[in-house]
Amino acid sequence: MKKKGFLSVLLATAMLGSMVAAVPAAAADDDQTLTVWCWDPNFNIYAMQQAEKIYQEDHPDFKLDIQENVYSDIETKLITAATSGDYSTLPDIFLMQDYSYHKDVTSFPDVFTDLTDSGIDFSQFSTGKLADSTVDGKNYGVPFDNGATIMAIRSDIVEEAGLTTDDFKDITWSKFMELAKTVKEKTNTPMLTTSGGSELILEMLQSAGASPIVDGEVKIADNEVLKQAVEVYAQLVNEGYMTEYTDWDQYIASMNNGDAAGVINGCWIMSSVQAAEDQSGKWTIVDMPALDDVEGATNYANCGGASWAVSSNCKNPDLAYDFIKSTFGGSVELYDDLLVNAGAIASYLPAAESDVYQEASDFYGGQKVYADIVDYASKVPAFDCGAYYSDIRSALTDVVTNVVQSGADVAEELQTAQETVEFNIEG
Amino acid sequence: MTRKIKRFISYAILIIASLLSVFPLYYMLSGATNKSIDIVRGRLIPGGYLVENFKTLVANQNLGLAMFNSFRNAILITIISLLVCSIAGYGFEIYHDKGKDTLMSILLLAMMLPFVALMIPLFKMFSSMGLVNSWIALVLPSVSTPFMIMLFRQASRSFPIDIIEASRLEGMSEVAIFFRMYVPIMKSTYGAAMTVTFMNAWNNYLWPKVILQDNASITMPMLVANLKSGYSVDYGMLMLGVLICTLPTAVIFFCLQKSFSNGLTGAVK
Amino acid sequence: MANTSGTKKKMSLQKKHNLIGWAFLIPASLLIFVFCFYPMFQAILLSFRKGMGAAQTWVGIANYSRILKDRTFKQCLFNTVFYFIIQVPVMLILALILAQLLNDATLRFKGLFRTMIFLPCATSLVSYSMIFKSLFAPDGFVNMVLTKMGIGAVDWFQNAWAARFVIIIALVWRWTGYNMVFYLAGLQNIDQSIYEASRIDGATAFQQFFKITIPLLKPTILLTAIMSTSGTLQLFDESVNLTAGGPGKSTMTLAHYIFNISFVETPKFNYAAALSVFILVSVAILSAIQMKVGDSRD
Repeated sequence: MKKKGFLSVLLATAMLGSMVAAVPAAAADDDQTLTVWCWDPNFNIYAMQQAEKIYQEDHPDFKLDIQENVYSDIETKLITAATSGDYSTLPDIFLMQDYSYHKDVTSFPDVFTDLTDSGIDFSQFSTGKLADSTVDGKNYGVPFDNGATIMAIRSDIVEEAGLTTDDFKDITWSKFMELAKTVKEKTNTPMLTTSGGSELILEMLQSAGASPIVDGEVKIADNEVLKQAVEVYAQLVNEGYMTEYTDWDQYIASMNNGDAAGVINGCWIMSSVQAAEDQSGKWTIVDMPALDDVEGATNYANCGGASWAVSSNCKNPDLAYDFIKSTFGGSVELYDDLLVNAGAIASYLPAAESDVYQEASDFYGGQKVYADIVDYASKVPAFDCGAYYSDIRSALTDVVTNVVQSGADVAEELQTAQETVEFNIEG
Repeated sequence: MTRKIKRFISYAILIIASLLSVFPLYYMLSGATNKSIDIVRGRLIPGGYLVENFKTLVANQNLGLAMFNSFRNAILITIISLLVCSIAGYGFEIYHDKGKDTLMSILLLAMMLPFVALMIPLFKMFSSMGLVNSWIALVLPSVSTPFMIMLFRQASRSFPIDIIEASRLEGMSEVAIFFRMYVPIMKSTYGAAMTVTFMNAWNNYLWPKVILQDNASITMPMLVANLKSGYSVDYGMLMLGVLICTLPTAVIFFCLQKSFSNGLTGAVK
Repeated sequence: MANTSGTKKKMSLQKKHNLIGWAFLIPASLLIFVFCFYPMFQAILLSFRKGMGAAQTWVGIANYSRILKDRTFKQCLFNTVFYFIIQVPVMLILALILAQLLNDATLRFKGLFRTMIFLPCATSLVSYSMIFKSLFAPDGFVNMVLTKMGIGAVDWFQNAWAARFVIIIALVWRWTGYNMVFYLAGLQNIDQSIYEASRIDGATAFQQFFKITIPLLKPTILLTAIMSTSGTLQLFDESVNLTAGGPGKSTMTLAHYIFNISFVETPKFNYAAALSVFILVSVAILSAIQMKVGDSRD
């Protein structure tokens, strides 16, 4: 039969094609090649490519095989490999979000390589940042991008309300409420936009040097600082000073459209703010408000950021250490390039002393934003949510939703969250 | 008169349903021709940014490779799946007895456990056989689905038994009856099955992502996921990528739909 | 159909056919046994244990009794069942009506209509969730229409019930065309002369639909019902991409929860396996009922 003949030819071709294509790249066995998993071509993939170029200057045979994987897939693949006990599929180096380090190092210690004695100089990174990827005193990650919390505000809108951006610097939340009230009354614009969830609450907590973990125990209920943070959040939404968007794209749009006069988030949010080129000169970066009446409360926190890890499957760990040491752990030149071309603000402290970081930014009305952000980053209190960070985050999201949407009692909701997290831990 | 009214209502329903269904395609089309910031701000009118979006897309991602891989995987899975499942479906119905009906019910269980729970044991199995990163590991778990088997089993119920008996009298073997009589007559079922299998294989994400390890095996859904992974997303490029990812299934449906919906010219003659 | 009459020759022929029948089933069944039942067996074993790798211990039904105490599970179960009860019947009835309308030889632009109605399920998940999110945004298209109609805007993604309805609308929108395909294919296998004969007898279109189309499509309807049951109880994509389970966990499905406790939160694979088995058993029971009702050969 004609049709059958055609089908079998097609079948044979397809099979042959896939067998040829599925042969793994032979280069992977080469001693001078490292495989890397990361995810953003304009950001961390670009960073790896630049790092490769820099390292190649002294090591001409060196090569990187950069595999693009969405972050959630990196975690899925790590976990699948680890639970199957087959580590051979892991890359040499991978980028991991800081919030996952404690969870994954605790649950899957065999995925990681302890970098404490690798020769990488960890003293060049701020302790607040290092805490995320340090488990039981051992370093498992080399910090990459900065996640210092900023408050970006529209200078034109606050000026329309008769205020200046300086009014928003180094303030407390009660002062912020007054200012936001003025802005709301004069311009009918909410001061903030948020993508909902518990991130802002956790940033408030961190800025006050508090944590939902006290002495290794979960302390969500009866945690006065946490309670205050939730109340501040609820007040912001209820008074109309902050609009919640559950959807990320809508959230970004609300900044770009001028639906809100500002946003509080990790400094990486700046690339989204800057997408609205026509708003150049109308934005200013300040630090976030501090919680009232909490001892040791600061205006600084951290949200997001990622660190490079070396996997246990790394065939040439010395090469990997040396590569990271000479690039992400020691090259100001690299970070200068990344700031200019990828907008990546370094966690590597010496980079901040470079001239590039002192430059004024037109988009932010001539403000030296990078120097300011690095300054914020150096003041962030260390924060450790431990291995249960994701569970706590998820439970706190429920708290926020119930309090804001249905006016539930804060203390009761926190008690429920406490029970939920304890239930998860007893697993 | 009532006939005309009825006709009118039919058209009205179909037009409304079509418009509702086609809106996303329009959204993708207009998005693919607009600048990212305009899409974020809610622009729905097509713009003049298509070429730029295409250039960014090609510069960012290996579009040709992803297309090739997706087509190769989907075609391979579709062919094997149709062959294996239609023979089984035919066998279940034409030679049905208590034992086979029971087996069918047991096989149905295969689609009732969430894939998340199967994934790790499945990965473990292929890893112990040294087959991670191979086409066998990619294809074999997806070709035999209880759904496809049952589709052919249910469709075989309308296959006229006289044809089988007549063919047997002519001395045809059972295998020959399947290929020469059943396959051509059931082309509407094959058409529907082909469309659906192709679509599922084309859109499959999690398993290919987990079992295939390097950039060279990127597929279209992975490409689209990559476009959305950055800290700041270029929505124009994303919409173009999504549009390109959707088109093949839509085209295949358009080409095959005649085979399973010819109106009066029913398959059984 | 089965012929139980007697000569020895016929018996052996039947035996031969029976064996060939089994042979036809082997490749497909073997694949399912190896690539689905074997991992499934592993997952079931996992659900009676605690820990991973070499450090596993038997804990009996501890993972199952944990289910009863789990508030998040109860919420997710409620959501999933709610989607199932509303969405499956609505979608299947719509698909049947559309298939019937399109199965008309004199209709124009049939191919175009069919392709357009099929399009939603071909649309990639990314774009489809983006579109729905922008349609139901606070200042999106849907709220604009509602405000114009004097009903007033709804906070679709912040309100639990509204968000659940968005998920149902999205599901119906996406899968109706898909199910229509099977009905269309099924309708082709119905002999047109049956319709003609009934028309001569004076049957109306409605009568034809209920007396001929539905009974003759029964095998296909059963198939789509089982498929949608299993699909809805394992619903994952919409919960993850459309609402991220929110607000809070009020739209999260069971499969989403299972994914979260495996790959997002602190991993609890044993418990995740127990929850998966719970879904398996639920779908199996529902499907068994559907088979009992719909799979008679008469």
